[in-house]
Amino acid sequence: MSIRYKSDPEIAEYESTKCCTSFLHYSWKTVTCLFSHVTLVSMVVSYCVLGAFTFEALEVANEKKVKSGIYKIRENVTWHLWNYTQGIKAFDEENYTRGALLYLKHFENSLLDKMNKDGWDGEEDPDKVQWTRTGSLFYSIIVITTIGYGHIAPKTSWGKVVTIFYAILGIPLMLLCLSNIGDVMATSFRFLYWKVCCYTCQKKPKKRRTRGSIRSDKLSRSRQGSFRRYTRTPRLPELGPMSHSDTELRYLDDPFPSRRRSERFRKSDDPSRKISRTSTVSSPPVQQNHLEPPLRGYSLDRKRRAEEAPDLDPSLIDRTPILFNKYIVGTDGGFERMIPGKGITPRQTEFQKRSASVPRTRRFLEPPRYPSPDGSTDVEEDVDSLKDARRPRGRSPRPSPSPRMMTPIGYGLPGRYYDDDSDAYDAYEAGKARIRPVPIWLCVFLVVGYILAGAYLFMTWEGWEYLDAAYFCFITLTTIGFGDLVPAKEVSRDNSRATISIALCSLYLLFGISLLAMSFNLVQEEVIGKVKRIAKSLGIIKSTSDDEDDDDDD
Amino acid sequence: MERKRSVRRRRKTARRSWLKQCKEFLRQFIAFLFSNVGIILLVAGYTIAGSFIFMTIEGKHKLKLKEEVLNNRTIFAGKLWNITYELNRKVMGKEQFNASIDELLRLYQKLVVNFTRRGFDGTDDLTSSAQWSFAGAFLYSLTVITTIGYGNIYPRTPEGKIATIVYAIIGMPLFLLYLSNIGDIMARSFKWIYAKCCLCRCCPGVAKRRALRKIRREKRMQMDYDSDVTGSDVTEVSISNPPLGPRHSTVSEALTEELDTDVQNVPVPVTVCLAIMVGYICSGALLFCKWEEHWTFMDASYFCFISLSTIGFGDLVPGDKIYGRGRDFYAEVLELSFVFCSIYLMLGMALIAMCFNLMQEEVIHKIQTTVRTVKYILRCNR
Repeated sequence: MSIRYKSDPEIAEYESTKCCTSFLHYSWKTVTCLFSHVTLVSMVVSYCVLGAFTFEALEVANEKKVKSGIYKIRENVTWHLWNYTQGIKAFDEENYTRGALLYLKHFENSLLDKMNKDGWDGEEDPDKVQWTRTGSLFYSIIVITTIGYGHIAPKTSWGKVVTIFYAILGIPLMLLCLSNIGDVMATSFRFLYWKVCCYTCQKKPKKRRTRGSIRSDKLSRSRQGSFRRYTRTPRLPELGPMSHSDTELRYLDDPFPSRRRSERFRKSDDPSRKISRTSTVSSPPVQQNHLEPPLRGYSLDRKRRAEEAPDLDPSLIDRTPILFNKYIVGTDGGFERMIPGKGITPRQTEFQKRSASVPRTRRFLEPPRYPSPDGSTDVEEDVDSLKDARRPRGRSPRPSPSPRMMTPIGYGLPGRYYDDDSDAYDAYEAGKARIRPVPIWLCVFLVVGYILAGAYLFMTWEGWEYLDAAYFCFITLTTIGFGDLVPAKEVSRDNSRATISIALCSLYLLFGISLLAMSFNLVQEEVIGKVKRIAKSLGIIKSTSDDEDDDDDD
Repeated sequence: MERKRSVRRRRKTARRSWLKQCKEFLRQFIAFLFSNVGIILLVAGYTIAGSFIFMTIEGKHKLKLKEEVLNNRTIFAGKLWNITYELNRKVMGKEQFNASIDELLRLYQKLVVNFTRRGFDGTDDLTSSAQWSFAGAFLYSLTVITTIGYGNIYPRTPEGKIATIVYAIIGMPLFLLYLSNIGDIMARSFKWIYAKCCLCRCCPGVAKRRALRKIRREKRMQMDYDSDVTGSDVTEVSISNPPLGPRHSTVSEALTEELDTDVQNVPVPVTVCLAIMVGYICSGALLFCKWEEHWTFMDASYFCFISLSTIGFGDLVPGDKIYGRGRDFYAEVLELSFVFCSIYLMLGMALIAMCFNLMQEEVIHKIQTTVRTVKYILRCNR
C-alpha cells in the first residue's frame, strides 16, 4: 500500500513541481556520489592512513620498551651463570652441563614469553620497530579486511580499545568498498566476456572466441539492456511450451510479453484502446497469458518458473495502474504519442531526463528486499520495465527507429551506471533465481589462476617455496590469516624492501578479495540454480534450498 | 482392472523395494543433514574429523623440531662449559667471562627466535605434542572453517598445508550454511519472542490502539494523495483509483489485519541488536577472564571481539596455559577451555549473523521511512 501510494504522488510531483524533484535528484546524486566507487576507495585509503598514524603513535613506545627489556633478560642470565660458576666447587663437565641446561631453558622460556605475550619480534635494535608507518598501515588493512595475521598485534590497552572501534567502523566500510569494486569488476568482466564472445557466436556463447567483432560502445550498451531483460525472465509466468536453447533466447526473444503488450497498447492514442487496456488490467494474468501467442523458448528451469508464477500474479494485478501511469510519464519513445498536447515541447529532452530521474531515485530508495505486504518487487519491475521501454530492442513489436536515435545523448551512461547498481541490489534478493551468462568454470579458473600467479610472485619476491607461497595466498584471500607466513617478516629488515613488500601484499590482497567478490557476484545465481535443482532432486525441502542460497550469497 | 494394476505395482515395488528404500533412506538422511539440527551435527562432525586428520598429519613434525631444540641446547651448554673451563684456568676475568657469555647468549637467542618462528612452543616432552592435542586440533579446524585463523598453531608440513586448503574449501561454505541456517532460525525465534513479549502483540488493547493510529495516518496520506493527483490526469486517476481506494474502511477490519499481521514483519530495533551483541561480548569477556589466569577484562573483551569479527590475531588464545612450561599436568582442564571456546565461537557467530540479519531489515526499513518522510516534507513545502 505504502509503496504504491508513494509512486503515484511522485508523478504528480514531477508534473507540478520540478524543483522538488530536482532537489531530490541532486541530493541523491550527492549521496550516490558519496558512495560511488572513487569516493569509497579514497575513503578506505584515508581510513587506513588514519589508522596507520594512530596505531603508530599508540604502540611504538611500548615496543621500544619491550626491546630494551630483552637486554635485561640476558644480563640476568649472565649474572646467574657467573654466580653458578663461582658457586661450583668441583669442576665436573657433566654436572656443570646439567645446571647450564636449566639456565638455558629458563632463558628460552623468558624469550618465548616476550615473543608471545609482549609481541617481541626477535630484533633488539630499538630503531628497527615493527610499528613503523608502513607496518601500521599494513596492520590497519589487516584489521579491516578481517584477515588478522597477528604478526603484529596491539599490546597496550589503548591500542586494543582503538583496534576494536577501528574495526567496528572499518570492517563495514571495507566490505562496502570491496563489494562495490567487485560489482564494477563483475560488470566489466561480463561486458568483456560478451564482447569477446561476439555476436557471431550467439548460438553458443559459452565458447570463448577470439575477439572477432568490433562493436561500438553504444551497441554493447544496448546489448546490456537486452541482457538485463533476459535476466528477468524467471519472474514471469511461463508462457510458451516450446523450448529452445537458452542461447537463442538470450538475444532474440523478448521475455516480457505482457510488458510488451502493454506498451503496444500505450503506443496508440485512441480511447478505445485505453478502455481495453483497463479491461486487461482487471482481468487476471492467466487470461493475459492466453492472449499472448506462445513465446519461443526458455531454457530456464521450467519448474522453478512455474513455482514463481503464482507469486507474481497478484502483484501484476496490483501494479498495473501505476505501471501505466509510469509509462506515460517515463517512457522516452512513447512520450509524444502517449500524451498528446503535453509532451511535445522544445524542452522535451530535459523533460525526459527529469522524468527518468524519478524512477532512478526511487530505485535507490527502495531496496527490494524488504518484505512489504504489497511486495516491493512490483515497483522494481516497474522501473525495470521502464528501462526496457527506454532501451531500444531488436524485435520491438512496432517498427521502431534506430536505437541510437531514440536514446537522448548523454543518457545512456547514467542509465548504465544505475544498471550496475540495480545489479547490486538484485544480488540481495536471495530467492530469485537468475542466470548469469558467465560460466562458473571461468570464474573458478580466474580465482585459481590468481592464487597461482600470486604464489609465483611471492615465491620470487619473498624466497618462499612454491607450496608455501600458494598456501599463503589461499590463507590470505580467504581471510583466515594464520600469520605463520607474513611478507617482509623473513626478508632482511631492509626498510625500503620491506615497504615494497608490504605494499605489494596489500595490493595483492585488496585486488584479490574484490576479485573473489566479483566471481561470487558472477557465479552465485548459477550456483544457486544448480544447488536448488540438486536439492530438489534429492527431495530436500524448499526452505533448505533457500538457505543454501543464502550460503552462496555470503 | 484397478486392482490388478495395483497388485502389479505392489509386486514391482516389492522387487525394487530394497533399492528404493535405500535411496529413500539416503535422501532422507541428506535432507536431515541439511536441516537445522543436522547442520549443527554436520559442522561438529566435520570439525572433529578435521581435528583427527590434522592430529595425524602434524603430530610428527613437532617431535623433529623439539629434538633440534634439545640438541641445540646441549651444544650451547657445552660451549658454556668451555668458557667456564677457560675461566677456571684463569685465562680470563669476570668482565671477559660476562662478555663472552653475553655473546653466546645472543647467538642462542637468535636460534630460539628462529625456532619459535618455526613453531617451537616451549614444551620439552618429545612423546606428545601438546599443540596438536585433540582439543588444539579441534580449535584449529574450527578457526580454519570460520576463517578466524588464530595462527597460534598452524600446519608446518606440506601435507598439512594442502590438507588445510582442501579442508577450508569444503568447510567454509559448510560453516556459512550453518551460520545462515542457525542465524535464520534464531532471528525468527527472536522476532517471535520480541513481538510476543515486548510489543504485547497478544494484548488486544494495545493492538487496537495501534490499528487506530495506523488508520488515521493512512487516511491522512490518502487525502493528500487525492488532492495531488486530481489536478494531473483525470482519466487516468479515475480508472486507476478504484483498486487503490482506502482499504481499511472500518476499525474492526484493520484490527483483524493488525492481529493477523505476521509476527515476522515486526521490525526489531537496531539498538536491541546492538545490545545483544555487546552483551554477548561482555558476558564472554567475563567468562574468559574468570577462566584464563592472566587475562584482564580488557584483554578478554578484546579477544572476544577479535574472534567474533573473524579477525583472529592469535595474540591471545584460550588455553594459553597449555603452552606454559611444565604445566601439561592441567591438560584435561585446558582441553575444556578449548572446547568452551569452540562452543562460544559457534554460538556467537550464529548470534552475530542473527543480529546482522535483523539489523539489515531494520536499516532498510528505516531508510525507506526516512525517504518517504523527506518526500512528504518536500511536497508540503511546494
